Amino acid sequence: MYDADHNRTESRVSQNEIKISSRNVQVYYGDNHAIKDVDVDIEDRLVTAFIGPSGCGKSTFLRCLNRMNDTIPICRVEGDIHIDGEDIYDKRVDPVQLRAKVGMVFQKPNPFPKSIYDNVAYGPKIHGLAKNKSELDDIVERALKRAAIWDEVKDRLDASGTGLSGGQQQRLCIARAVATEPEVLLMDEPCSALDPIATGQVEELIDELKQNYSVVIVTHSMQQAARVSQKTAFFHLGNLVEYGETEKIFTNPQDSRTESYITGRIG
Amino acid sequence: MTTSLLVLIVLALGVGGYIVGRARALRGVGGDQRKLHSLPSYYGTNVAMKAIVPALLVMLVWLLAQPLVVESSVRGDLQEESVRQDRSVSLMMSDVRRLANGLDVAVESGMMTRERAANMRTEFTDVRERLGEAGVALGSAVTSPVLRAAQKYRALSETGDLLRTGIVLALAVAGLGWGIRNSTPEYRARNVVETGVRILLILASCIAILTTVGIVLSLVFNTIEFFRIYPASDFFFSTTWSPSFGGGSELGILPLLWGTLYISLIALIVAVPVGLFTAIYLSEYASKRVRSVAKPAIEILAGIPTIVYGLFALLTIGPLLLSVFGDSTVGWMDAGTAVMTAGIAMGIMLIPFVSSLSDDIINAVPQAMRDGSYGLGATQSETIKQVILPAALPGIVGAVLLAASRAIGETMIVVLGAGAAARLSLNPFEAMTTVTAKIVSQLTGDSDFGSPEALVAFALGMTLFVVTLGLNVLALYIVRKYREQYE
Ligand SMILES: Nc1ncnc2c1ncn2[C@@H]1O[C@H](COP(=O)(O)OP(=O)(O)O)[C@@H](O)[C@H]1O
Ligand SMILES: [Mg+2]
Repeated sequence: MYDADHNRTESRVSQNEIKISSRNVQVYYGDNHAIKDVDVDIEDRLVTAFIGPSGCGKSTFLRCLNRMNDTIPICRVEGDIHIDGEDIYDKRVDPVQLRAKVGMVFQKPNPFPKSIYDNVAYGPKIHGLAKNKSELDDIVERALKRAAIWDEVKDRLDASGTGLSGGQQQRLCIARAVATEPEVLLMDEPCSALDPIATGQVEELIDELKQNYSVVIVTHSMQQAARVSQKTAFFHLGNLVEYGETEKIFTNPQDSRTESYITGRIG
Repeated sequence: MTTSLLVLIVLALGVGGYIVGRARALRGVGGDQRKLHSLPSYYGTNVAMKAIVPALLVMLVWLLAQPLVVESSVRGDLQEESVRQDRSVSLMMSDVRRLANGLDVAVESGMMTRERAANMRTEFTDVRERLGEAGVALGSAVTSPVLRAAQKYRALSETGDLLRTGIVLALAVAGLGWGIRNSTPEYRARNVVETGVRILLILASCIAILTTVGIVLSLVFNTIEFFRIYPASDFFFSTTWSPSFGGGSELGILPLLWGTLYISLIALIVAVPVGLFTAIYLSEYASKRVRSVAKPAIEILAGIPTIVYGLFALLTIGPLLLSVFGDSTVGWMDAGTAVMTAGIAMGIMLIPFVSSLSDDIINAVPQAMRDGSYGLGATQSETIKQVILPAALPGIVGAVLLAASRAIGETMIVVLGAGAAARLSLNPFEAMTTVTAKIVSQLTGDSDFGSPEALVAFALGMTLFVVTLGLNVLALYIVRKYREQYE
């Protein structure tokens, strides 16, 4: 409880720092209206959790935030999404640049079949973040340290990233995302393929990451949402039903659908 | 009795057995199918199987073995005669076979009684003339030993045929009886049929394997035969290829191997980039509509017979290259047939091969890899170059090796496009030839299969076989290794 209180004060302090704001967002896959009228303000330097039953559109909405939906031909996004006050669906915005600023970690760990070093160096290299090899080495080391995996891999940076355990792979993917110096980190069920110990490690990591980033995490586990997030959004059938302080959502939900979901009656 | 009639009778027995077996099983339970161990059709099949399969198998084996047995027996008799006449036994054997056939025809057409055909003597009859009357032309006069051998040949074959018919029919009837006796309600017909089906499948795969083994063995034996009369070191290390059927040939494989590798190399230089880029475009950039049109269109290329590519090389590519590199311009090329001509045509032939294999391999790279890369802000071409291609590389290498082994085995394009001169040269605009093309030319025409000039074809074939086998094994190994990576 102490932690939750602490977090709340912190979130109050940052109340005005809105990082991402969406208004009237609609997403269609062909004729399927997957996201309906979503308005949400995501704050900087805290963890926002998206919860809701399967197929309600959590991943879809998350993918709108870094325009990953652009890679799906049948997907169409309407409405406004602003990051730092800038419309990310504006024609002048290059989605490729945007994705460097809004990093993403996927449900299943997906390290490239390259060495651990090259996995992390991939983003900095394509964005030209390092002037020379030693700078790149620094970036890689810093990212691996921030992802709390440095000690485990520092002696085998040349080994293949696919040879790590599931939890290590996911932390490597987080390191890879962190290495491009994003401002927002999107995580789509980052722990669903992991065992409880690895989950604990990643959750700890998320808690640390919020000091520098705005973190948005999709999760199926309500315990996880309660443990790591300060704000929670509940989605149902493409609608954003309720959004607010995590503690309030879990102890005193306003909407009956939210209550049914968190008490396990819909899911 | 002719073989086809025999087969028909056996099959008819089988069909009859099916009906009887089925009926007998049903009668055993008073028509109540549920009391049978298996469905009625299984009882029928059981009987049919037992009647047909052993009988036909024995017949097949007999048909294959009888000529061998008869010939070896007749051959033994001719041994002595062949020494006296100083002619090879095989030549005499073909006389014997021709004469025996002639006698068959004569008997069949009624020109000669069976007894007469069996007892004629050269001392009393001009066999050649008598057969000529029956419309059978024989090359040379018939000598007494040959006639006697032919008569023995016929007698043996006749007895064999008779025995075969008897045994096959007996087997069919025995199988039928056995099957019908089995058709009692508690008999496990279903399991027996299942076993029968399994044995059938095993036999089929054995045939495939045995044929392969047979092909390899015939290659090996003929190759050994060749190396017995021609030194292996000359074959592998001599740089001249000049066969002459009069003797004194030089049969060095190096110029041919060089031609093969050179033409294949050019083919790969054409096919790999074009095929790979096509595959990348189709799998990563093309919209569904484009893909649905372009992919089949490219695959049509794979359906064109290679002789057509050969014609294309001869009639289009050759003259085109000649007009660019010929005497009228730089003068590198004297004639349309050249390594370059064949190489380009072969490259075009391989494009669909490389592109469809690579397309499959690129598509097999998980979408998660692409998402991961796009999620870090990489563009499409960066993703392809740095993530997809490296991940697909082993598979693509495998595809290229498979393409190479096809190029090495290709014949028609070379025959038409590259010329026939065996030459060790670096100039790609000169005519050269390949191992496969020379195998064809060594074996076409009247060749004596005992001479090194003909037998060399088997040594060439063996070399080629070893090279392509090695490439295929390597390719499959690499491709399999790559598959494991994502499982
Ligand atoms: N690539 C896609 N193509 C078509 N429909 C999709 C695609 N991805 C998701 N959808 C649809 O969008 C809806 C929301 O899916 P998703 O965002 O994955 O839900 P969640 O992550 O909450 O489980 C579902 O009805 C799903 O069928
Ligand atoms: Mg999802």
